Amino acid sequence: MGKRSRYIIAVMSFLGILLIGSPALATQGHAGIEGVWVHQFAHIFFLFSMGLLIFWLRQAGLVKEPGWRYIQYAALFFILWNADAFLVHLLDEQMLAVTVTQVRPWHVRLDAAGGREWVALLYYMVKLDHLLCVPAMACLMLGLRHMLQESHRSRPDEESRR
Amino acid sequence: MTITSFPIWFVDVVGSVLMIVFSFISVGYCLQLKNKAPTDIIINYLLWVCVALAVFAISRSAGHLLKQIFLLIDRRDLWTAIQPFSGAVNTFTFIVVASVTLFFERTWAIYGTILKDRQALQNAHEELLYLNQNLEQLVEKRTEALVISEQKYRRIFEVSKDMILVTRTDGRIVNLNPAGEQLVGITAAGDGNLEGRFFQSFLSHPEDWNVISRHIEDHGFISSAEFDLILEGDARRRVLLSGSLSRNPSDEGETIHFLIKDIEQRRLMQKQMAQADKLASIGELSSGIAHEINNPLGIILGYTQLLLRSEPPHSDRFSDLKTIEKHVKSCKAIVEDLLNFARTSSPQKENLDIHVVISEVIGFVRHHSNLENIQIETVFAPDLPLVLMDEKKIKQVLINLLMNAIHAVGRNGTITITTGLNESASRIAVEVSDTGHGIEQENLLRIFDPFFTTKPTGEGTGLGLSVSYGIIKGHGGNITVKSEPGRGAAFTIALPTTAPLSGR
Repeated sequence: MGKRSRYIIAVMSFLGILLIGSPALATQGHAGIEGVWVHQFAHIFFLFSMGLLIFWLRQAGLVKEPGWRYIQYAALFFILWNADAFLVHLLDEQMLAVTVTQVRPWHVRLDAAGGREWVALLYYMVKLDHLLCVPAMACLMLGLRHMLQESHRSRPDEESRR
Repeated sequence: MTITSFPIWFVDVVGSVLMIVFSFISVGYCLQLKNKAPTDIIINYLLWVCVALAVFAISRSAGHLLKQIFLLIDRRDLWTAIQPFSGAVNTFTFIVVASVTLFFERTWAIYGTILKDRQALQNAHEELLYLNQNLEQLVEKRTEALVISEQKYRRIFEVSKDMILVTRTDGRIVNLNPAGEQLVGITAAGDGNLEGRFFQSFLSHPEDWNVISRHIEDHGFISSAEFDLILEGDARRRVLLSGSLSRNPSDEGETIHFLIKDIEQRRLMQKQMAQADKLASIGELSSGIAHEINNPLGIILGYTQLLLRSEPPHSDRFSDLKTIEKHVKSCKAIVEDLLNFARTSSPQKENLDIHVVISEVIGFVRHHSNLENIQIETVFAPDLPLVLMDEKKIKQVLINLLMNAIHAVGRNGTITITTGLNESASRIAVEVSDTGHGIEQENLLRIFDPFFTTKPTGEGTGLGLSVSYGIIKGHGGNITVKSEPGRGAAFTIALPTTAPLSGR
């Protein structure tokens, strides 16, 4: 079979699929698990961008300044928090690995799939994600405060130079 | 496993509140920073991040708080309704934070370049402003500096004792300093116009210009090369020439700048020193030989005279012995002359008037020579100091010089004896000049050499001038000669005067 014949057959097959197939709707639906996927991608994107931020800050030597050093720590905590949140969503909504049941006030029972208790314990630990995102936010705040103080300090210097 | 949910609840509630508080404080800081530097791209980036995180904090933390409240009041359905919206906002804020961060580095780099350019523009603007405001003053200052510089270099050009010359590459003279004009004999009153004149016309060998220009063309300069210049009256002057090509072409083309140093005096001095060295060596050699010969000659003469006593006069043997005696005496005279040249005998000096000595010598020469058509003139300087001299030896020198002059002028001519005083050197000068045939250039250098003579064989021993040289040197003086073929010769004797010009 010649090269040209194979090309014609491929084009005809593609057109056949398009024309013979069942009628398609104009827009795609986004219900169900798709939202979780998008959210997970967003976490990964966030994590990746924070990694890049740390890299650039170090490359530019900005981490020598206290303000930017705090922002670097904030980025590090955000990376850890994203990883934590990603794991929670994975266990909770994608793998459905753990079932949570309220047994009495302020007590819950964690049932891990396959009776793996460590998964239940891991789930419990990663649920405490504010222990990561609050320090991240605090570091960001401290960094900005340093930068503000620095700008207050440098302003009178500039004025005195004039 | 059953476990308490309190830690989760506590962390969730407290964490949510803190997230909202911290994020809003961060936004507040960012706004303050932005107020200070509204155009700072980094502050703008941080503001974007903080706003997105604040939105995230509200969406998530408020959501979590509401969740806890709804669960407490057993209204899970309300939470189920709000949850997707909260989750979507969270997702959106993540993407916003990540996106601005991704573009941050690139924006930052561009912003850095813009800042740098802005600074450069600012600097240029400030400089232009300064120049604009101070232009008049700056031009005035610069002009003043240029005038000072011009005056400085003009002065170097004007007062230099060496010749400074500027020519085109073809040798056409552009500029010549006063020292140069003086050297080559250009005067404002005379042919002072340099227009259209070429440097090569001042070189004694015009083809030397090809050597000079080729060297400059190849190397860009010429350094310490010796050439001869032609001066007024066809005189020549040895010069040391250095020059370089000016690579900064003017409207009319490139120029060559020369520095020309007159080294004639130095050359003459070197020649004289070489001559003095040569004569000193010859003198030493001669005195050695003369001493060795003098003793045997004395013995021969003594025995000859003894033999003559025992021989009857008019006999053949007597005649032969007389011939021997005559020639031995002649040899002794030569040997004595050699010893005089070598200055072995110390002169018997006394303070004398040179004019008296000269007059006596002229009288002696007139008496012993036929001077029918030869004029001997004297030009005596008044008030010459006394000179410490050995009368006999100085007379011998003057006789030698006069006899040579008489021989040179032949039958007709004039011999002039001129005296003068060089007060600064504390020397008197006696010049014996004649109008004779002069001395060839090649002979001038050898004229004081012993046994050098231009007279036919038998007419001169060639020791007269050598002896004169030795005697004058023995008096701490100097003897020089100037001559050109056909224009006579002039011998000048310089003798030191007795202490401070006080003879009379």
